[in-house]
Amino acid sequence: MTPLEITFHILGTAVIASPIALLCILGLSSLAGYKLGESVTSRLTQASVWLTSLPTVGIVVLMLATGIRYVPIELGNWVSIPEQHFHFHLKFAFDRLSIPFLLLSCTLCGVVGEFTRRYLHREEGYQRFFLFYAVFFCGMVLSSLASTIETLFVGWEMVGLSSALLVAYFHNRINPVRQAERIWSIYRLSDAALLVAAITMHHMTGEGDFGGLMSSGVWPEGSAAIDSSQALFVGVLILIAAAGKSALFPLSGWLPRAMEGPTPSSAIFYGALSVHLGAYLLLRLSPIIAASLTLQIMVISLGAVSAVCGAIMSRVQSDIKVSLAYASLTQVGVIVVEVGMGLHYLALIHIVGHACLRTMQLLRAPTLLRDVNDLENKIGARLPNETWSDAGHRRPKFGRWWYRFGFERGFMDVTLDTYVVRPFVCVASFCDRIERTITDKISSESSRESDNAELHPEKINRVA
Amino acid sequence: MQIANASSPDEKTVKPIEDDRDLAAISEAIEHAKHYLPAQGPISIFVHHNTLHSFEHLPFDQAVIEGGKRYGCEPYLSEDRYRQELRCNRISVDDLRQILMDDLADDADQLVASFGTRYTLRLAMLQMNLHTAPEAELQWLLRESDLLKRFRGEVSDSRRERFVAATRTWVLRQRESESPNIVREIVQNSGNKKVQSWNDDAWEAFTLKALWRSCYDGVKAANAPYPTEVPSRSLEQLLRRLDGIQIHETVNEVLIRFCGGFLDQGFAEWSLPDRELGFAKSFANLFSSRFSIVPIWMKGLGSEMETIAKENFDPIRSINESLAAMGVKPEDIQETLTESLLALRGWAGMIWQTESNSPHLPNPIPTGTLNEYLAIRLILQRYAIADAGRLHFGTRDLTKIREQVELKSHRRNHRTSPSINERTYTIFQLAQAGGWTPEQLVSMSVEQWTCLVREIEMFDSLDRRRILHAAYELHYQASALDAIAIHSARRQKQSQQPAATCPTFLAIFCIDDREESFRRHLEEVEPECQTASAAGFFAVAMYYQGADHAHFRPLCPAIVKPQHYVREEPTFSTVTESKKRAEHRRRIGFVTHQVHANSRTMTGGWITSVFGALATFPMVARIMAPRLTSRIRESLGTFVKPPATELHLERTAPQPGREPDSLGYSVDEMASIVERILQDIGRVDNFPPIVVFFGHGSGSLNNPHESAYNCGACSGGRGGPNARAFSNMANDPRVRRLVAKRGIEIPEDVRFVGAFHNTCNDDVEYYDLDLLPRTHRELFRQIEASVNETRCRNAHERSRRFNSAPLSMTPAESLQHVEQRAEDLSQARPEYNHATNALVTVGRRDWTRGLFMDRRVFLTQYDPAVDDDNVTVLTRILQAAIPVCAGINLEYYFSTVDVEGYGCGSKLPHNVASMIGVMTGAASDLRPGLSQQMVEIHEPMRMLFVIETTPEKLDMIIAQNESIARLIQGNWVQIALIDPQTSTILRYVQGSYQPYVPSETEIPTANSSVDWYRGIRDHLGFASINNTETAGR
Repeated sequence: MTPLEITFHILGTAVIASPIALLCILGLSSLAGYKLGESVTSRLTQASVWLTSLPTVGIVVLMLATGIRYVPIELGNWVSIPEQHFHFHLKFAFDRLSIPFLLLSCTLCGVVGEFTRRYLHREEGYQRFFLFYAVFFCGMVLSSLASTIETLFVGWEMVGLSSALLVAYFHNRINPVRQAERIWSIYRLSDAALLVAAITMHHMTGEGDFGGLMSSGVWPEGSAAIDSSQALFVGVLILIAAAGKSALFPLSGWLPRAMEGPTPSSAIFYGALSVHLGAYLLLRLSPIIAASLTLQIMVISLGAVSAVCGAIMSRVQSDIKVSLAYASLTQVGVIVVEVGMGLHYLALIHIVGHACLRTMQLLRAPTLLRDVNDLENKIGARLPNETWSDAGHRRPKFGRWWYRFGFERGFMDVTLDTYVVRPFVCVASFCDRIERTITDKISSESSRESDNAELHPEKINRVA
Repeated sequence: MQIANASSPDEKTVKPIEDDRDLAAISEAIEHAKHYLPAQGPISIFVHHNTLHSFEHLPFDQAVIEGGKRYGCEPYLSEDRYRQELRCNRISVDDLRQILMDDLADDADQLVASFGTRYTLRLAMLQMNLHTAPEAELQWLLRESDLLKRFRGEVSDSRRERFVAATRTWVLRQRESESPNIVREIVQNSGNKKVQSWNDDAWEAFTLKALWRSCYDGVKAANAPYPTEVPSRSLEQLLRRLDGIQIHETVNEVLIRFCGGFLDQGFAEWSLPDRELGFAKSFANLFSSRFSIVPIWMKGLGSEMETIAKENFDPIRSINESLAAMGVKPEDIQETLTESLLALRGWAGMIWQTESNSPHLPNPIPTGTLNEYLAIRLILQRYAIADAGRLHFGTRDLTKIREQVELKSHRRNHRTSPSINERTYTIFQLAQAGGWTPEQLVSMSVEQWTCLVREIEMFDSLDRRRILHAAYELHYQASALDAIAIHSARRQKQSQQPAATCPTFLAIFCIDDREESFRRHLEEVEPECQTASAAGFFAVAMYYQGADHAHFRPLCPAIVKPQHYVREEPTFSTVTESKKRAEHRRRIGFVTHQVHANSRTMTGGWITSVFGALATFPMVARIMAPRLTSRIRESLGTFVKPPATELHLERTAPQPGREPDSLGYSVDEMASIVERILQDIGRVDNFPPIVVFFGHGSGSLNNPHESAYNCGACSGGRGGPNARAFSNMANDPRVRRLVAKRGIEIPEDVRFVGAFHNTCNDDVEYYDLDLLPRTHRELFRQIEASVNETRCRNAHERSRRFNSAPLSMTPAESLQHVEQRAEDLSQARPEYNHATNALVTVGRRDWTRGLFMDRRVFLTQYDPAVDDDNVTVLTRILQAAIPVCAGINLEYYFSTVDVEGYGCGSKLPHNVASMIGVMTGAASDLRPGLSQQMVEIHEPMRMLFVIETTPEKLDMIIAQNESIARLIQGNWVQIALIDPQTSTILRYVQGSYQPYVPSETEIPTANSSVDWYRGIRDHLGFASINNTETAGR
């Protein structure tokens, strides 16, 4: 290895090691029951963010200086089963896609970490928050740098897990926990799709390396090494995964539900990073999308539908956080369209800009009343606010219906509940009834003691 | 008239009762239920209310229990919390003794079984941690834990040894055949039957087993009855209790979103269609739209909604039909309606407040909305119940569902009384703590056991908390009254000869508790000055519009409806410049608004996002260096700020109003205001050359409750303009002539200056300084310097309560620290507002000056010498002070004892909804009340008023003022009277005045406030500050 390669390797390893080290310190200390102080916890987090971003900047400088455009960091095969053609290959790559996304993650994690340091002061779950935050940070670094699909999956899972746990941050109340479960179930769906995609890719190319999928060139120039029907199959799975993670149509229902956590976690997850991860995945695998026209059309239409739905839903909401959540969705939809159209750099710029803007807006969401008051004072009158009938002539013809559409949040959750969840539950309870009939007959009495059990107090007590 | 079959989702014909009397009864029931709704209006005008205002007719201790039941909230702090206070001596055992004695009165000596009196039993129960556990946990404890092997940790070693020794002697002394059954059984069951060879551990275990068994047998034999709960009869509650079906939650989910849209004050870009047609019509129109997918439980709702949308809708009639369909019996109507209304009480309360009290909102709502809300809600409930019935009982017929549910609830016998084990456990713990040996217990008769069980259950947890709370209050109040008595005596001694000298200047503040420290420090910095206080609107009740404000805003207590409008206008010479700047502001505002609003749309969002990376710079700057960033922003903002301004204060038209001519006050009205305030503060002569009036307010970021931090006497507004207006009035020579005619001579060389104190960043700004004569400027600079020093010291004292502020800061650093807090987006505690408030003094500053009261006291100025025989002045002071202070204090009380139930929970997940209130998370009920971050250092206690007057005069005021009487007689506030001449204190106890005997004779002294509080974060006791001397008046 040349000295340059060694330098790259050291810096690259540092980038990955620092969030993992943070996770280990915070995780092990709480596992051992040792409560780190507030300032120690937040300083560790800040240090870790710095230790990730500085080497990254170093790598960028070196890359610019030497003109190298692709720096892989190989950490070897961790599991290898030659008979099954399976290996778990840890490989990370610094290229034009991962570096901006990584720097974005570092900046936002650093700023929001600093914000949270004061915002969560005196909070009982301070350490818990920062532990989940470390999981998230680690997941973001891993998935943005991932160069094989299994590495990506590890990061992807960590981001999903920490999102769900932070939505349920106030776990003594019912609502956050319920919503987190719902989010978790959608995430699992997209995880499953990603996993199947990973296995399929292994079958097709013998490895999960993104480089292997693309016969030539580094991002964004590569072209897919698989034929278009294979690309369509993998692409659809990837699209499902991305749709779940980025709350695209028809899985947008979870996005407003995610606003149960503390403001900073809502900001960084649903305004900024987590929600863009699906788009990032599509961007990473853009050669596959380019390989199949059908897939391309699917991506574009999914993005467009999501953007339109998001725009309508955002217009109808009367509370700031949900409105911002849907506004995020709108832009994520537009980004997906851009990815589908092959406008990779635009999509990347769009992701970065949108993430920064939305984070700021969500962080200062609680100051809405003051901001509106300031604006009104500046303008010297009420903000323009038309009633429905005033603006009637400018509304689309089916205006009321669109309002209802936004009000019911695109009918998405209702549809899922009615046409997916309910049949499933019906089948299950049908089986349950059969079982009950049989067991009752066998024991010739009521066979379920649980029918007469008293409900747990939590179930009948007041709901916060 | 409604079609009958539309009223029930199962299409079954229900005969509607079309009786006008019924409808009237329903209206009446709604009217009654309304009172239980929270009284908080839109959050941008935050007025502190007694959270249990609807229970104010009851005495406090009864009201907290009734209210707690009604809302499912806690009446007091938890028992554990009081115990903790007991351990760290915040409550002393003497306090408990005193309270318990007073509470029991003649019953104290009643004998309980053979162990002593009711008093001793209760005292023991108060001091120990009585653990309760449900049956299942107890089974586990008995089998798996050391419960029957080791004494409780609280029991001292010596007591344990005596206990075991007594039992051992008792067992060994008996011959085997004669020993009681339980002893034999336990010995039989133990591994080693030779009792003589047992070691200490074995004996301890034996003792405890014997104790448990004897208690168990006794309780079993006693079989004391337990007061049974009245079972709830509402269908929703039965369903929840039996099957965990949550009808209200299902319905809430829809209504939260709809209420949000309906009450929206202009946040959503698309406003609700047909909002102007009212709640019901708008709802019906929305939900009757075709081509929509509805959840299963709403199937069929669309057609019913179509009927409502098309025909005349009478909410009361609809409610009646729904009630009839649900089979609600006439006697249950009240309860059912109340329950339905309170199921989403934040939103329902906001509807009620908006329709009845908030005409100034951009989107007001018509009266009668609450009835329509209730009608719609009941229809939805019907559907939800029908659907639950379909799932669980196989029918959608509401009457059949009710039958089945009631049948099921009869069949499933809910055990309400505690099991034998649970009762035994309580006595078992008491026996250990009280040293009741098995020997004594075994010999007790059944009657004695019954008596013991009854006595113990009579003093249940609620009752114990009541006593503990009373002791908690007593402890603080005794120390406060001691301190006031001692300090005032000390002051009296020091100023034997009332030198009628004039102070260097006079500073008037609001009565607010946050100004206590500011005044104290100012008096320390400038011992020759004097301070006084009046309610922060300074009798200038007005609608005010600043030069750069868009609207008029009321600046006076919420109970007053202002008649006058005052506007800040540019001075005549700067009119053109001002217009230019206003135009600049308008442009900036317009662009900002467009950017913000459009960033949420698709194309606008696309543009803003692509350039969004630019947003990173201000974001990082604001979060990393809030103070610096705000300074830069501020200095940029000066270019568009209005230039020199003045108040349009004098009216030319005869009647006040909003038109340019009718703005302001007539000279006569001004004179009355000036006269009134000067009388209130007791300053009718000896005016110093400069009198400064300080209004106050507070500014903070990311804080939807910002208005709650402002001046309570300005209904959550900033009181600066009031101080400015008052000073302008008092400086007017015509006003002075009129005031002089009424007996108050203000010399010509006296100038009044208005100022504004920001209690969050401790900034002070002065108004109209250009009008100050040259002769006064030197003195003013001196005052300014003192005030600046005071700002630092005040910030320093405040900082001691902030955990994130190092205790080692200097006063100047503290000032920077609090400035930073105010500008910090991530700061959830910009200041602590009224937290820790506990006391109000009404009287001359003379007897409290120099007393360190830890920012816990509202200092109200009153000089009996200026008052007449009818106590006019005191009456009007108390008419404002008692309801306002009690409102603040009680809101803090309730939000602290149950921050989730009465308060608004943690601030961290708050979400501003409809620009009218906050929700927790994405969708929840609106949360009135105060947040956990606001109350975390508060000690929930009722306000103690210490008033400088005589019992006769106070009785007169109580007799004439119904609202004051209700608060005082119901013990919502507590009253003490002081005579500063003799320092004697009388306490008001249930209608009579009892002399208060101080328990201390000395309080600590310190050279300055900082000497007393330095290095301490917690609540601090009282102390006399030496270095604040001046000749008393």
